[in-house]
Amino acid sequence: MTDAATKFIETYERERNSLPAADLPWLDARRDEAMKSFAEAGLPHRRLEDWRYTDLRQLLSKASLAPAPAHEGVVLLPTTAFDAIDGHRLVFVNGRFRADLSNLGGLPSGVTLVPLAEALRAPWARPLLEAPQASGIVALNTAMMGDGLGLHVAAGVRLGKPLHILHFAADAGAFHVRNLIRLEEGAEATIFETHAGAAAASSFADHAADVSLAEGARLAIVKVQDEAPSAIHLATLTARLDARSHFAHFTMTLGAGLSRNQSFVTFAGEGAEAHVNGAVALRGKQHGDHFVVIDHAVPHCASATLFKTVLDDSSTGVFQGRVLVRPDAQKTDGRQMTNALLLSRDAAMNAKPELEIYADDVQCAHGSTIGELSREALFYLRSRGIDEETARQLLISAFLDAAFETVANEEAREALRGLAANWFRLGGGAA
Amino acid sequence: MLEIKNLHVAVDGKEILKGIDLHVGAGEVHAIMGPNGSGKSTLSYVLAGRDGYQVTEGSVTYKGRDLLAMSVDERASAGVFLAFQYPIEIPGVTTMTFLKTALNAQRKARGEAELDAPRFLKLVREKSKPLNISDEMLKRALNVGFSGGEKKRAEILQMALLEPFLAVLDETDSGLDIDALKVVAEGVNALRSPERAMIVITHYQRLLDYIVPDVVHVLSKGRIVRTGGKELAGELEKTGYAEFAA
Repeated sequence: MTDAATKFIETYERERNSLPAADLPWLDARRDEAMKSFAEAGLPHRRLEDWRYTDLRQLLSKASLAPAPAHEGVVLLPTTAFDAIDGHRLVFVNGRFRADLSNLGGLPSGVTLVPLAEALRAPWARPLLEAPQASGIVALNTAMMGDGLGLHVAAGVRLGKPLHILHFAADAGAFHVRNLIRLEEGAEATIFETHAGAAAASSFADHAADVSLAEGARLAIVKVQDEAPSAIHLATLTARLDARSHFAHFTMTLGAGLSRNQSFVTFAGEGAEAHVNGAVALRGKQHGDHFVVIDHAVPHCASATLFKTVLDDSSTGVFQGRVLVRPDAQKTDGRQMTNALLLSRDAAMNAKPELEIYADDVQCAHGSTIGELSREALFYLRSRGIDEETARQLLISAFLDAAFETVANEEAREALRGLAANWFRLGGGAA
Repeated sequence: MLEIKNLHVAVDGKEILKGIDLHVGAGEVHAIMGPNGSGKSTLSYVLAGRDGYQVTEGSVTYKGRDLLAMSVDERASAGVFLAFQYPIEIPGVTTMTFLKTALNAQRKARGEAELDAPRFLKLVREKSKPLNISDEMLKRALNVGFSGGEKKRAEILQMALLEPFLAVLDETDSGLDIDALKVVAEGVNALRSPERAMIVITHYQRLLDYIVPDVVHVLSKGRIVRTGGKELAGELEKTGYAEFAA
C-alpha cells in the first residue's frame, strides 16, 4: 500500500460518520464496499493497460492529499468563459456547495437540483450509485464523496437555461465531488462546467459523475478545466443512454499539472447518440490524459469522438479510446479520431485509439495523427504579411476549431474560441 | 525598385543561382523564362524569403533597403508579393478570414488603421467580382478543394487586395486552360501601374501573349543568359530552350 492510498483510507476511517447521508444503511454499506475495493487495488499504476501513460500511483506519491479545508469565508471567484450566457449558477469551493454564492431561483417545475446530501435520499439516485463502475478508481470517490449535485429532470421537462457549475479550489488539499444526473423520458438539460483554482492551490480534485438518460432525453455538457499548474484533476464520467437519447459531452483541458478525464458511455437502448469530444492545450510540464470508452451494447446507435490536442514546451498529452461493438450491436455507427499538434521538440503525445468489433454489419472508423505546424503553411501566411506569431495562432486555432465545431451551442462555441485565444496570450508568444 | 547584384543561392549545399544581375524599375514588367531546373522558382522563393535558400554571395536591394535582411512578413508589408506556383492549402482558415488577417496585418505594419468588417467586405467584393470569385468560394477554407484555376484566381485576388509594389508571379499560367488564363491575365493587367513592378516567371510564351512584358530574360543553369524585348519570347517559342540548355 502506498502512502497516498493509505492517506485516503485513514481519512475515510476518520470522517466516514460525517460524510453526507451517512445515516443511510445502504449507502454506508456501499461506501464501505467501495473503500474495501479501493484498499485492495490501491491507486492505479502504469502496469494496468488503461493507466499505461499516467501512473497515478507514482504521480500522487508527492501530492498533498489531506482533505481540503472547508473554505467558508469570502472567496474571490474567477470569471468563467460562460459568464455571458444567461443561466442558473452553482458554485462549489474546495468541493463544497456554496448556497450563498449560487443562484438557483426560477428553476422550472419538474427540475430538482439539490446538493449531494439531499440527492442521496432521492429514490432515483440509488440505482446510479449502485450500478457497476467501469473504472476501479471511482471506488475512491464512491467512498469519500463529500458533496456534489443531484439533478433530476422530470419526463418531458426542458431546463430552458443552462446550468453553470463553477468548481473553485481555493486551497491545497483533496476533495471528492459526486454528481448524479437523471433525465427522465424526453427531458432536456444543458450544463456548462468550469473548474478553476487559486494560483498556488495544490489541490487534488476527484470528480465522478453518473448520468442516466431515459428514452428520448437530451443532455449536453461542456466542461472547461483550467485549474492551477500545481493542481491535480481526476474526473470520471459514466453515462447510460436509453433508446433515442442524445448525449453530447465536450471537454476543454487547459489547466492542472496533471489531469485525467475518463468517460464511459454505454448504450442501453436503440437509436441513441453519443458525442464525446474535446480540445486540449497544454504547455510547461502539464500532463493531460483523456480516456474514452464507448460501449455499443445494443444495435442502431451512433457515437462520435474527436479530440484535438495542442502541446507546447515539455507537456505530455494522452488519448486512449475504445469503441466496443458487442455481438448484438448491428448497424452501429462508431467514429473516433485523435489529432495532436506538437509545438515543441520536447512535447510528447501518446495516442491509442482502439476498435473492438464483434458485430458484422457496422460502420466504424478510427484514426490518429500526430504532427507539427506545416512550415509551408507558415511561410505562405507570412508571405502575405502575417507575422509569425499570428500565423502560428491562426493555424493552431484552425486546428482546434474542428473540435469546437462539434459543440452545438453557438454561444458555448464562441466561449471556447475565446479560451483558445486567451491560451495564446498567456503563452506570451514564447513558442 | 529592385536591384539584384551577383546573386548566388544554394539549396542543401548545391548552388542553384550562380550570379544573377537584374534591375527592375517601377512600372516595368519583366518576364523570366527558362527551362525546368534553371532556377526560376528558386529566384522567386529567395525574393519572398523562404527558409532553406542560402544566399552565398551578392545582394538584393528593394526600394533602397536590403531585402535579404528583412523577414518574410516584413517583405510582404513593404510591398513584395509572390503569387505561388502551388498555393498552399490551409484547412480550417476561411479565405475571407485569411484575406482580412493579411490585409490588416500589412496595414498595421505600415502604421495604417485596420479596416473594419463592413469596409473590408465591400473591398473584397469589389476585387473579387472581375476574377469571378463568389462569396461561396470566400467562405471555403483557403485553397482547400479549390480547382487549379480557383487557386490561381485566389492568388490574384490576394495581390489585388494587398496592392504590392513588386509582384513576382511564379508560373501563374501552369495548370490553367485558356479561359482561366485570360481571367488571370486580365486581373494582372488591371494591376499594372507606373508605381508597380512585376516579374512574371514562366516556362511558356503563352502567358506573355496576355501579359505583355517590357523586358524578357532567359534564365539557364542559374544565370541570365539573354535579355531582350518582348519579341524574345516569341523567338523562344519557335526555337525552344535547346540552345541554352546545351
